[in-house]
Amino acid sequence: MASIMESVLSKLMNKNVLFTVSFLVRLVLVSFGVYQDRTMVVKYTDVDYHVFTDASKFITQGQSPYHRSTYRYTPLLAWILTPNVYLSHVFGKLLFITCDVLSGHLIYLILRQRGLSCEAACRVCSLWLLNPLPAGVSSRGNAESVLTALVLATLLCLELRQLPMAAILYGLAVHMKIYPVTYALPIALSLQRKENGEERRGGWWRRALGFLLRLLNKELFLFAGVAGVVFCGLTVLFYSMYGWDFLHETYLYHLTRRDIRHNFSPYFYMLYLTADSPWSLALGLAAFLPQALLLLLVSLAFHTDLALCCFLHTAIFVSFNKVCTSQYFLWYLCLFPLVLPRLTLSPKQGVELLALWFAGQGIWLAPAYYLEFEGYNTFLLIWLAGLIFLIINSFIMVQIITHYKPSDTMQRLKAE
Amino acid sequence: MFVFFSTCTVYLVLFGSTQADENSCGLSMTWLETVSVTMDVSKNGFHRDLVTTVDFGPGFPDGLEALLVHRLPSGIYIDQYQLASLKEDTGLQVLLGSVVDLEAPAHTSEEFIVLVYPALDQGSLKATLPIHGRYHKPSLAGKRFELVEIKLPKLILRTDTCTQLISFPPYKIVDAPCTVHNLSICQWLDIQHLQEQDPVSLEIPLGDGSLVEPVCAGTLLVTLLCCVILSRSIWRHGVF
Repeated sequence: MASIMESVLSKLMNKNVLFTVSFLVRLVLVSFGVYQDRTMVVKYTDVDYHVFTDASKFITQGQSPYHRSTYRYTPLLAWILTPNVYLSHVFGKLLFITCDVLSGHLIYLILRQRGLSCEAACRVCSLWLLNPLPAGVSSRGNAESVLTALVLATLLCLELRQLPMAAILYGLAVHMKIYPVTYALPIALSLQRKENGEERRGGWWRRALGFLLRLLNKELFLFAGVAGVVFCGLTVLFYSMYGWDFLHETYLYHLTRRDIRHNFSPYFYMLYLTADSPWSLALGLAAFLPQALLLLLVSLAFHTDLALCCFLHTAIFVSFNKVCTSQYFLWYLCLFPLVLPRLTLSPKQGVELLALWFAGQGIWLAPAYYLEFEGYNTFLLIWLAGLIFLIINSFIMVQIITHYKPSDTMQRLKAE
Repeated sequence: MFVFFSTCTVYLVLFGSTQADENSCGLSMTWLETVSVTMDVSKNGFHRDLVTTVDFGPGFPDGLEALLVHRLPSGIYIDQYQLASLKEDTGLQVLLGSVVDLEAPAHTSEEFIVLVYPALDQGSLKATLPIHGRYHKPSLAGKRFELVEIKLPKLILRTDTCTQLISFPPYKIVDAPCTVHNLSICQWLDIQHLQEQDPVSLEIPLGDGSLVEPVCAGTLLVTLLCCVILSRSIWRHGVF
């Protein structure tokens, strides 16, 4: 039995087999979704997928996609999904699962670029490709996989030093979802010119000036210029088409979002209780500071290893955010396979941390279920669970930081 | 396809007719007295089903059409997109009187009118309307739940064979959209004696406003602590 399992696993670790199986699994899930939607009361398809399709319908009628309430995405997405209306309702899902498998492929390419063997890269990649979470999310019609593919493609192009392409992808990624905007600082820092011996001498102000001069180089201007043109170009285009609605729903809503309804954020109960109070603004700022400080610190500390830096960036951003739902977890999970090969944790420790992460979610989900579906007043428990989940996430991040074996360049820099 | 007209204003205009007639388009007074409406809420928590049952006595007129006019409080909302999908599954036909914000809390929302066109089935009808509780303002007085009361809907009837209804006390004639497509206005007979049943209510959990200080202090303390621990680790292992 064990030998059969072993041979199946080794076959699965063949790159072509792995990717074919992953795609087929997702296709089966999509077909099952069609069946479940037709026959059962509980639907497989994500609510957001209907939102996208409705928005596309408005587009095909020559109207604004923002006529569909709760459509809070770029019009580009509704445009891309117009075949949902013209061709078939499953078009979008097929696109999302393709992006999902493509994300797996990008993870594979980045890992190869970072020196892993083909087989080792496949093994790590399977954590994404055979993971039920991304497969389920994309086959249910959630668009997160488009973004994971864009973010991973940006990182790959940066690893390959293909700056114009990286900049185009990055501009597009920020346009699709605002959160990758936080990667701007680590990317800018990673593009800085190398420090030479002379610059290392002198007073602090000379070093600061040297740092600034190293930072403002041709590569940074190229990257910022191209990414800026893509982002601003799309913004101007859609603003001219859909006006204020577009700016508000795509960007401003997400920046100013204050959802008082229960979610994974440690700040949820505080924001609910103070929603109408005069110090609501001050508290919002107080909640923003730890997030901003940590993002700045991580950028400065780990920009030489962009994959690690972006992973920590996203994990911190999501954990310390004022709103956090389970789909946000995908934002950092897609970057985790890039970090994993360099972790010196034992498999046992790894499993323990994974179990801890799931336990954190379980502790939150139980009172949230009782509040939402049973009507018990469990607000206090949800609040405590949110805080425990933050502590767990912080603990896991600390474990990852301490058990990360840096690349040779990073080690050299550290030694210097 | 569920059609939603944002411009639709549901208006119920009373006709001042005083003509006494025991029978209007086959809707006789004695038969109308057998009509009863009951309402119940099923499921728990924030997502409920409002189940309305109408029972008719024998002597069911041909071509009878019924309409339930709900006036729902600001403490709950209805998801028009969920209704669109339900229409395909169960054939539930609903017309909303105004645009409903799916995310606003109760204290910034208003009550709204919902017209349900139930399908008649052999002497009775049953309509299941999914409703959702809104978040409410936290209570400062230690109240753990807010009671949201839902009044019984108004039942109005017409027959599609007869266009000229005549009102007879205590029944009045009101105007309302003929069908869920909201293309034309018809006269309906308002069945008055049904409004006597007590409203049904649901409990919505409330945040405890008296805990605002410990909650803020606890939240800021824990987030600050996590921030310090992470910063220390980043500082130790990072390359600066």
